[in-house]
Amino acid sequence: MRTMSAAETAPATYAWAIHAEQLQVRAGRHLAVDGLDLRLQTGVHGLLGPNGAGKTTLMRALATVLKPSGGQLTLLGEPVGSRADLRRVRRGLGYLPQEFGFYPRFTVREFVEYMAWLKEMPKRAVPAAAQRAIERVGLTAKADAKMKTLSGGMVRRAGIAQAIVNDPQVLLLDEPTVGLDPEQRLDFRELLQDVGVDSCVLVSTHLVEDVVAACTDVVLVNEGKLVFQGSPEALMAHGEEGDAGFSPAERGYSALLRRHRGAAA
Amino acid sequence: MSRAFAVQFRRFGLPGATVLLLAGAGLLYTVRWEWSPGWMSLVMSQRTYLMLSCPVAIGVGAWLARREHRAKVAELFAATPRPRHQRVLLTLAAVGGAVGLAQVAVLVVTGAWIASTARYLPGEAIAAAGVGVLAVIASAWLGTALGRLASTPVTAPVLAVAGFAAILSVPLAFHEDWQSTLASPAWGMNQFIEYQTIPGRVSAAQAILAAGVAVAAAILLATSRWRTRTAAFLPIVLGLALAVTVMPHDYDRVTIDPVAQQPVCTADTPRVCVARAHAGLLDEVTPHARQALALLAKLPDPPTSVVENTNTYLDESTIVRYGADTVPFDVEVGDDGHLKHPEFLLDRMLDSGGASAAGCPNGFDVATGMAAGAWLSGRQPRPDPNAGTYVVGPGETPPPGDDVVATRLWERLRTLPEAEALARVEAVRRAALECVDARGLLDGDTR
Repeated sequence: MRTMSAAETAPATYAWAIHAEQLQVRAGRHLAVDGLDLRLQTGVHGLLGPNGAGKTTLMRALATVLKPSGGQLTLLGEPVGSRADLRRVRRGLGYLPQEFGFYPRFTVREFVEYMAWLKEMPKRAVPAAAQRAIERVGLTAKADAKMKTLSGGMVRRAGIAQAIVNDPQVLLLDEPTVGLDPEQRLDFRELLQDVGVDSCVLVSTHLVEDVVAACTDVVLVNEGKLVFQGSPEALMAHGEEGDAGFSPAERGYSALLRRHRGAAA
Repeated sequence: MSRAFAVQFRRFGLPGATVLLLAGAGLLYTVRWEWSPGWMSLVMSQRTYLMLSCPVAIGVGAWLARREHRAKVAELFAATPRPRHQRVLLTLAAVGGAVGLAQVAVLVVTGAWIASTARYLPGEAIAAAGVGVLAVIASAWLGTALGRLASTPVTAPVLAVAGFAAILSVPLAFHEDWQSTLASPAWGMNQFIEYQTIPGRVSAAQAILAAGVAVAAAILLATSRWRTRTAAFLPIVLGLALAVTVMPHDYDRVTIDPVAQQPVCTADTPRVCVARAHAGLLDEVTPHARQALALLAKLPDPPTSVVENTNTYLDESTIVRYGADTVPFDVEVGDDGHLKHPEFLLDRMLDSGGASAAGCPNGFDVATGMAAGAWLSGRQPRPDPNAGTYVVGPGETPPPGDDVVATRLWERLRTLPEAEALARVEAVRRAALECVDARGLLDGDTR
């Protein structure tokens, strides 16, 4: 239980939590996201794509770490441009980067509390929010252990804890299940569904099965462009017996990619 | 104190601060003789060792910057709303607070050693200590800023060594004391005389310059573009200009505090006085002094008070010669903050019948003075542990020590009738008071 602020309970004045139109984002000199159109609202969205598809670059742009080089990007109703004041948008963001950096000498609690401070949470709310986030990722027993003593899976969970500490309206998780064992992945799926009830969650992953099991919506990108957006069932429907993959979802994934590549050629 | 600050203080500030505290206190305890006389001595000694503390602080700052770089948190933090300058200021406050506190803690830990004997705490000592704290903070911030600009494994050690070389060598590039003193907070802090001080304006100038460096480091850290980083030059230039204006250009590194020389005396008689700088030793001195006055009472027109000799002998024109009614003596403080060799204090007070010949232009025969004192105390002259030793070349035989010569004179004096011996001792006393040669007065035919 926690007290909701007036801002949190106020009705949203925007149609889409994430709204990209012809979005272009560069990764160095390479145009990694090239004319992407995307609309996401509350729910859990799985971001799929092969290596080099532009998933991480897209996530970084949505996290406001990279500035778009073209097109329009609107987050929580606020335009994200080169001169935009991103402070308000960032207060509503949670982000777990693919390469999660942390202070190894901080305890889990200290790090999550520090991230809460960086997210400009009210001072009084920080201890309880940090405790709640740590509990939600199942790290209560390790709350006062130093980050450097954690296993890879625990570090990932600590990363998720810092991402959700501010109850973000947009939660961006880049490869969050790396290092998690099967049981932890099941717990993680439950957490995603829980958070996705009133937030827009975008999970980038290679694991098609995770997306099918935990997401309400699938976003497939390739070469910086949107290939497919729809339900997991719709993804599975695209697959046929001859397509590569061990499950209907994997077959749908490979079929969509194959067609997109063929069309591009 | 916010939780974020507390965490940063604990995780970023404390490791470096612990190094500074242990190294600083450990170092000062190995050189206790430098600072045992009092608070100003302690502060100046600590300031001298800024030649090590500042480079260590620079290295600590660079090491922290390296740690931040290796943690790879930039991506994560870039997505948070807290402005960069606020995050940087929190880190700077935590690191600066911790190393500054360590510098103060060194004074507390070492100050405990002299707390029972050191009384005189002038404002100048507090100001000078404050400059030391500022210098260490500025060094740590500068190290953090430079460490961020060049985050490599060797940055911290290289900066520490470079800082050490700079703090030692840069002051040597200047000819004037005031310039060298501005160039390094450790320069000119060796205390030659226990009445020495650092004028408030000197500390103010050094504090302004240190603050300028600290602000420059903060700007370097808070900005991410090279164009805005050039703004860091501004506080350094402004600080330097202001510091040069405030700094007294006739500053002499050996500046005497007249208040430290003022006498602090016993409330009752016979009057015994020490300099204010040694006020805590008055109770230790008094019994020896009064015993000396009692023994000197057998002389005609005997002295009636014992006063610490506060002459510094830096300038012959300012030397004060004490009158016949006063026994001047030198206070020497041991490593423990108490009188050094108190068992010799009585002997020294009785030398030359209680008259000091210090400052006499042609010197004075030490052995004659010792023998006169020994006759008054009734004890054989002893080698004074503070007496200098002769330097002799290879194959040369050193001359007999003053105590050996004095013993010969003393033995002869004892063979004389009481009245004759007293008259000769009185003659030695007069000679010392008048700065005339006393040789032959004890063993010659005339007096």
